[in-house]
Amino acid sequence: MHKLYMELIRMRFLTMLAYRVNYYSGIIIYAINIGAYYFLWGAIYGGQQQLGGLSVEQMTSYVAIAWMSRAFYFNNIDTEIAQDVREGKVAIEMIRPYNYLSVKTAQAFGEGIFRFLFFAGPGIFLISLIIPFHFPATATGWGLYLISLMFAFLINTQINLLTGLFTFFLFRNDGMMRAKRVVVDLMSGLVLPISFFPGWAQTVMGFLPFQAVNYYPSLIFTGAITPGRSWELIGFQAIWMVVILVPILILWRMARNRLVVQGG
Amino acid sequence: MIQVKNLQKEFRIHQARAGLGGAFRDLFSREYKTVKAVNDLSFTVEEGEMFALIGENGAGKSTTIKMLTGILTPSEGEIVINGYVPFKQREEYVRSIGVVFGQRSQLWWDLSPMESFRLLKSVYKVDGTEGDKWLDRLIEELEINSFVSQPVRKLSLGQRMRCEVAASLIHKPRLLFLDEPTVGLDVLVKQKIREFLRNLNETENMTILLTTHDVSDIEALCKRVLVMDKGKLIFDGLLSDLKEKWGNGTEVSFQMKKRTPADELRKTLGEMPCEISQVNEYTISVKVPQSQEMLPFVLSTVMSTFEVSDVKIMETSTEDIVRNIYQVDTGVRGHA
Amino acid sequence: MQNVKHIFGIFADYLGQYFKTRLAYRADFLGDFVSNLISELINLVFIIVVFTHVPLMKEWTRDEIIFIYGFFLVPYALFSMFFGFWDFNERYIIRGEMDRILTRPIHNLAQVCLESIAPDRIFGVITGLIIMGYAAFQLDLTFYWYDLFIFIGLVISGALIYGGVYTAIAAVSFFSDSRTGIAPMIYNIQQYGRYPVDVYNKAIRFVLTYVLPFAFVGIYPAAYFLRKEVWYTYAALTPVVAVIFFGIGLLVWNWGVTKYRGAGS
Repeated sequence: MHKLYMELIRMRFLTMLAYRVNYYSGIIIYAINIGAYYFLWGAIYGGQQQLGGLSVEQMTSYVAIAWMSRAFYFNNIDTEIAQDVREGKVAIEMIRPYNYLSVKTAQAFGEGIFRFLFFAGPGIFLISLIIPFHFPATATGWGLYLISLMFAFLINTQINLLTGLFTFFLFRNDGMMRAKRVVVDLMSGLVLPISFFPGWAQTVMGFLPFQAVNYYPSLIFTGAITPGRSWELIGFQAIWMVVILVPILILWRMARNRLVVQGG
Repeated sequence: MIQVKNLQKEFRIHQARAGLGGAFRDLFSREYKTVKAVNDLSFTVEEGEMFALIGENGAGKSTTIKMLTGILTPSEGEIVINGYVPFKQREEYVRSIGVVFGQRSQLWWDLSPMESFRLLKSVYKVDGTEGDKWLDRLIEELEINSFVSQPVRKLSLGQRMRCEVAASLIHKPRLLFLDEPTVGLDVLVKQKIREFLRNLNETENMTILLTTHDVSDIEALCKRVLVMDKGKLIFDGLLSDLKEKWGNGTEVSFQMKKRTPADELRKTLGEMPCEISQVNEYTISVKVPQSQEMLPFVLSTVMSTFEVSDVKIMETSTEDIVRNIYQVDTGVRGHA
Repeated sequence: MQNVKHIFGIFADYLGQYFKTRLAYRADFLGDFVSNLISELINLVFIIVVFTHVPLMKEWTRDEIIFIYGFFLVPYALFSMFFGFWDFNERYIIRGEMDRILTRPIHNLAQVCLESIAPDRIFGVITGLIIMGYAAFQLDLTFYWYDLFIFIGLVISGALIYGGVYTAIAAVSFFSDSRTGIAPMIYNIQQYGRYPVDVYNKAIRFVLTYVLPFAFVGIYPAAYFLRKEVWYTYAALTPVVAVIFFGIGLLVWNWGVTKYRGAGS
């Protein structure tokens, strides 16, 4: 089994390397995104030193790391699952001797590592030539961040699996998937640190898993919170991971029973 | 009507280096191989002819058809069809042709074929009453009336294929291309389509070009055959000539009730120039060269002399013919 | 004249096909409408939340930024209606539907547009106008009668700029043999054109003005209505940029078609 997953990850690597145009434009796009946000936030801060609990320096590293994190946790398995369902390939996947969902997760993991190291990495490098970023100085800082990032990946992937599973019951839900992507980008803390939101919104979002996807790891990275608090956040992530697992398993069972395949 | 001169199509194909390390290197510099999919192809077709283009997978048939229909631009050479140069005057040229892709659909998947027909009538500017009458005739002859208002995704392959043929003819083109139209169809549907095409060719003088793997398609429809292999045209002539010259003839497999050695068959058939081989103790196969009289003679002789429980007749396949062309005809230089 | 009638006829037919197809799958009318609305409003949330913390962004007020955003929604909606082929690579290149397109007697780009037509995006125009209207009211802007024509012109130009850029990007699929197009990656960049360009450094400003001229769909034309005279020249250049970039898009596309390899065997 272990070999299977390693192989899947390797396949994803190969797939992503195979298309040069995508690769190079991907790096440039990352650089542009990070750079643009840096300036945007610079303009927003204006002369102020502190906003939403973050100083200017912390904000810039927040921006950089938020995008790097996204490079890792982001994946398209919701649309991939949707496509498999629509094309009827999912029936074949069901009779294979592996768990379809774990395989998808492994693929997403491979994709994430690749994007993190080879897209965001060079992208950040490029842009850091122009912009001074602040990265955590301690090993603990990095360690905590990486642990949190791993959880973030799992939670985001679970959300995507869930969305993908809905296709079994809704067929053409690509409108919903598009909206979900935008909503997640906002509520995960990618475009706005959650601390910026008004109090009532923050309370509501406390009940949703999205901020665990980007806000927590990015916050840990910027060093704006204590290690103790960092562990607390990681704890929350672990809880969310377990919580979301439940509907996934339920839906998966329902989906297998109700295999209505479209087309073909 | 169709004039093809020295047609060439080359593709530059990226050779992926093996493994992960190789994939990284490919990011920076790539290796390419140039493949000649179509190599110096020339032929002429008159209006009203019905001919077939055959060859194995990768022989260049699809690439040729795509160039003839204007989808691909040739690397070199000329094509003139109906006075048009397909890839240069595509939008005008295309009004006079119909195309059926065996593997891809012309119809809207979610709607009924009838809806697709309506849209196509508009796209091709098909005249009102004349067009309707023509479409009615198509529907009738292809026998698709009973399901022409069902969504395409609910149709069987055979039903869909017939609707595809109808769709390609809505604007009454003078030239019809069919790219592997009978793949996956059952015998009955194949026959229906073949009959329809034959009729079309006779009554409307429509020029029809067919690519196929199925030799029996050609048997039923075309007199003229073009054989391609590795991008080159290796035969252009009548089907009967093709089979006589390079066919293996027919192979007949007799299953006997009692154990029969091959020699006994040999004795019965005497000096007949046929190859006899023992498949197993009960089964003997006889290869009969192409000829009008030999096959019936062999059949009647063997079956009257022995107690035969089953007879299987296998025609020469395209691969056999192509292989034979290379072996026999020293004038044609195949691959290096 | 015959030709124009024919064009309208075809357009109506494809539109008809669209509706018939949609009705065949009843579930998603509402879903799409809601998700479009959400996507449009999410960006508004960003602006509003940010401005609860600061009064200005480089001398631009919240309502001005909102106005720009409302303005941007209109050409974007127009563009989405007619150039909705986000899945171009997957559908037409990989699945080879381009073959079918090329055997029909209508210009191939026009066919792709017609087949991907998304009339439900027109609601974006309404959303945009409402947001613009709100901001205009808050800012107490004055409009003249000729502003309507300028608005229409700028909106159409904006849609053409988007159309040109995304057509060229889709055409990249003809040259590369990628599994996915690069259009989704570019998607995020278009929002940067909605903020005052002087926020960014020279490099990014250059990209947004001359390479992926999204600034001409957001800030530059909107600046005209906000009466920011320093941007007037840029606003006036919008139609020029539109023609240039749509032209480039078409050129790249047509060139790409000659490189098309067909799908399958």
